[in-house]
Amino acid sequence: MDSLFAKADAIKPLAKRQKTSHKSSQNASKRPSTENHTAQSVSKHTSVPRSLLPASSELPDVPKFSHIANKKLRGELQRQSAHNARAKALVQDTAEMLMVEDAGKIQVEGESERTWRIGQNEVVQSAGQEAAKGRRELKLDGGPYRTRYTRNGRHLAVAGRSGHVAAFDWQTGILHTELQLQETCRDITFLQDLTYFAVAQKKYVYIYDRDGVELHCLKAHIEPTRLEFLPYHWLLASVGNAGYLKYQDTSTGQLLVEHRTKLGACTTMTQNLHNAVIHLGHQNGCITLWTPNLPHPAVQLLAHMGPVSSVSVDPSAGGRYMASSGKDGTVKVWDCRNWKGAIREWSTRGSGSEVEVEWSQRGFLGVASGGNVNIYTPPSIHRTFNGHVQPPLYLTHPIPSRPLTSLRFAPFQDVLTIGHNAGISSILVPGSGEPNFDSTEADPFENRKARREKEVKALLDKIQPDLISLDPEFVGTLSRPSKLVTSDGKPATDTPYARLPRFDRLRVSGKVDKTEDADAIDEVMDDDDDGSKEEKAKLREEKQKKKMRGKNKSMKRYLRKQRKNVIDPATAAVRAKLDKMKDEKRKAILARKGIVEEKKRPSALDRFQRKK
Amino acid sequence: MVRISVLQHAPEQHLPTRPGDPTPQSRNLNPLMHPFARARERTRALNAAKMDRIFAKPFVAALEGHVDAIETMSKQPDSMVNIASGSWGGDVILHNLTTRQITKRIPQAHKGKVSGLCHASEDRLLSCGVDRTVKLWSVGNSNGEGSSTQPLNIFPGKAAFNAIDHHRSDRLFATASNTVQIWDETKTSPISNLTFPTSIETITALKFNLAESSVLASCGSDRTFTLYDIRTSKAERRVIMKFQATSLSWSPTLPTLLLLASEDHNLYTFDVRHLDRPTQIYKAHVDAVTSCEWSPTGMEFVSGGWDKTVRIWQFKDGKGAQKPEVYHTKRMQRVTSTLFSGDARFVMSGSEDGNVRVWKAKASEKLGVITARERGAIEYRNKLKERWSVDSEVARISRSRHIPKSVRSTDKLNHTMLEAARVKEERRRKHTRVGESKPKAEKKKFVVAEQA
Repeated sequence: MDSLFAKADAIKPLAKRQKTSHKSSQNASKRPSTENHTAQSVSKHTSVPRSLLPASSELPDVPKFSHIANKKLRGELQRQSAHNARAKALVQDTAEMLMVEDAGKIQVEGESERTWRIGQNEVVQSAGQEAAKGRRELKLDGGPYRTRYTRNGRHLAVAGRSGHVAAFDWQTGILHTELQLQETCRDITFLQDLTYFAVAQKKYVYIYDRDGVELHCLKAHIEPTRLEFLPYHWLLASVGNAGYLKYQDTSTGQLLVEHRTKLGACTTMTQNLHNAVIHLGHQNGCITLWTPNLPHPAVQLLAHMGPVSSVSVDPSAGGRYMASSGKDGTVKVWDCRNWKGAIREWSTRGSGSEVEVEWSQRGFLGVASGGNVNIYTPPSIHRTFNGHVQPPLYLTHPIPSRPLTSLRFAPFQDVLTIGHNAGISSILVPGSGEPNFDSTEADPFENRKARREKEVKALLDKIQPDLISLDPEFVGTLSRPSKLVTSDGKPATDTPYARLPRFDRLRVSGKVDKTEDADAIDEVMDDDDDGSKEEKAKLREEKQKKKMRGKNKSMKRYLRKQRKNVIDPATAAVRAKLDKMKDEKRKAILARKGIVEEKKRPSALDRFQRKK
Repeated sequence: MVRISVLQHAPEQHLPTRPGDPTPQSRNLNPLMHPFARARERTRALNAAKMDRIFAKPFVAALEGHVDAIETMSKQPDSMVNIASGSWGGDVILHNLTTRQITKRIPQAHKGKVSGLCHASEDRLLSCGVDRTVKLWSVGNSNGEGSSTQPLNIFPGKAAFNAIDHHRSDRLFATASNTVQIWDETKTSPISNLTFPTSIETITALKFNLAESSVLASCGSDRTFTLYDIRTSKAERRVIMKFQATSLSWSPTLPTLLLLASEDHNLYTFDVRHLDRPTQIYKAHVDAVTSCEWSPTGMEFVSGGWDKTVRIWQFKDGKGAQKPEVYHTKRMQRVTSTLFSGDARFVMSGSEDGNVRVWKAKASEKLGVITARERGAIEYRNKLKERWSVDSEVARISRSRHIPKSVRSTDKLNHTMLEAARVKEERRRKHTRVGESKPKAEKKKFVVAEQA
């Protein structure tokens, strides 16, 4: 038996080795540094993968968690934070290798030179052969045009007001389809990729495939004006003249939810790419933020003094900034974390018509107003500024054919596409496009197989619409402490609902009858007292203990005894009686004081008064 | 002078150079390029948990052959394919797991039930029965050749035998009747009798330790388990418990760890250095547990019981017991014996319906060839499940099991009774004077006395 114990000790797990005090350095040096002989012998001949190697011997910003008493937890937290710091360092290392392409830019030498003086001809001349193809003018006679790119920036869909709809490959110029729908088309959007697109037509939303075959008519979306597709949730959102925001799940086909905005016809909609919240701009100058799981707007703010004409959210800063423009001719930039006021606002020249705003992937803000498109660059438009002047201009481009109805920056390219009355023109905006794309998210060069695979993967990763919220990072965080509270007001995290006392259970589920508490009763009795509320509250404790004195004590006691959490007819009757007595008492007091209560003059409206 | 550069992707960097080449992948690790990364990962974890449940098809095969209830099973120590089973009718059958065929059938090996089986070496099998004999059989090689239905040797005893186990290296074996007897394979009478001085009990199970092969543990009908050393021929320790243990098993990796299956529906692990309390209680069975065995890795163990279920437990080195995996079928009756296969991938259960059933140890494991890509996907899914295991939805899905109605209702009843007892005890304590009655740890309640 002893030999068994000896043998057991020999292979005692490491965790159970004898405790050593960490205080003295002597002990630490005594501890054998090479505990694992096997690992030591192997380590000479093996190489640990680079990702597993410690990036540096000392990670400076790893917290020590010395305030946590639990050793195991502390160790775990330290390990986790070290791992995270190491991963971050590795990402920074690899970023240099992965980011092979540089963003476009315009550099001026002297102080006197201005970037906005550069015209498109100059830009096109200095651009490469491929990039220069981005400058195009399409003369179309379908009325003002709306445009939309696919997520990888490869394909473009356009819809003219009078029903001319086309989808084509923007790079090669191959036309996928061209339709003359013969009715008003107000907006167009691609669904998950180029294979489907939805058009907001005169009466309903229609879905077409790449070849222009009408696949679905979504009759639930009536008189739609704007469309948005939430790619990670597979939701098609539409808003229309009736002011209803409707979400249709395009993977299951269900109409998920419809929200009544109660703010009338809406012609402005955009989505925040980072949290899938829909921003609507309304006729009364309000901007509302919607999620499918809330029946009311998550945020509502009065942004403009007239109708809102355009809203856009900055994708470069994680959806932190929103730009809005109104028919009053102002453009405002908002911080989405703090809605107290715009961080910057200015008036556009030549206002009076629609002003369109749009952010690019790298945070360039395009503003189309009158007959001009102005581009502003990030650091200045994100900074708080009190004046009412426009920020430093980056580029400007005149377009004679008003109105300018749509602005779209092409993803992963330095191209801005403007839809206007006489067709579509696209201009080059150096630096607006993100140079490095990620093939797992959006790849302009993907082939058919990759696109199909991505579609299946995206369907598997579809996020449930319930998870849309203003803060997308709440998934995977710790839940809020429970609402369960014991009768002494402390959080009852340990006590399950079933073990709470009945009163607490009723309170937690919100079924407590609060109409009849001590305050209400006492107010009846202390009607003519002038004592303050605090005194009353102080007295109440004592009064409860005292024996009932004076008139009517039996009734009060009966009521107190009968005080329950459930409203039943007997209690209601007693309460009615009490009310009546209270009224009589009040009248008596008034009579004693000599105040004659004015009798109400009979009015024609009395017939609508509810009989007591 | 103005310098202008416009972004331009070089197609040769992003397109395959020759037809048939893989398309080059580019990556951008900026988190802003990957919106909803967390939510999408959670969805993937949810899908992983669902797939795990969808593909949980643990039943592999039922090996028929016995006409009566199976009492005992034994696996050949150095083989993955050969197991032997003995039934109440006295038959012994040798099964081949890969072909699922019977390699050898010994009808009427014993009169009455075969109460114990164990492999003496790769071609010899020991069986004991209630007919007071131990028989040594030649079972030939794995094909069953060179074997006969006549025993090589018969060892007569004085009382009905209940269990048998062979020494790991020497040609010795131990039998359990009203005493523990050590036999030499070459001698027809026991070489020693081991018994605790004051005991008068029926020994129901015994096992040799795997590391220190002279140490022997047994459990008996007077609610005890006893440790012996055959070199000193003495019983070293004895522990009296609250309930009788039915089966026991030594851990293959931790030599001092002993697993006991008890009639109080629980399993217990004991560190034999500290016999005053079990190191862990494993609660899930709703009826008496009749058999248990460790996996050869020592990371998990299997148990079967009268509630007609087989359960597989993860061993967490005494750091808490988790809910076990539970296997059942409609036709499986009370499980009398369980085995882990030599590669720790399969579990065998013998039950009163006369079938030996083979189960996967991991319910959703895919059998057969797994490609590297598939392996990678499986590992990724497992990691996701582990990472999101605290998410309530993921946890709920991976926890859900279909359990027979009878088991579920019994479990509920047991829970109600235990809860009532707990509440009663709490109230009693609340109304006694402070410090008069201290709550006793659940682990300490189980051991009644320890004798040396």
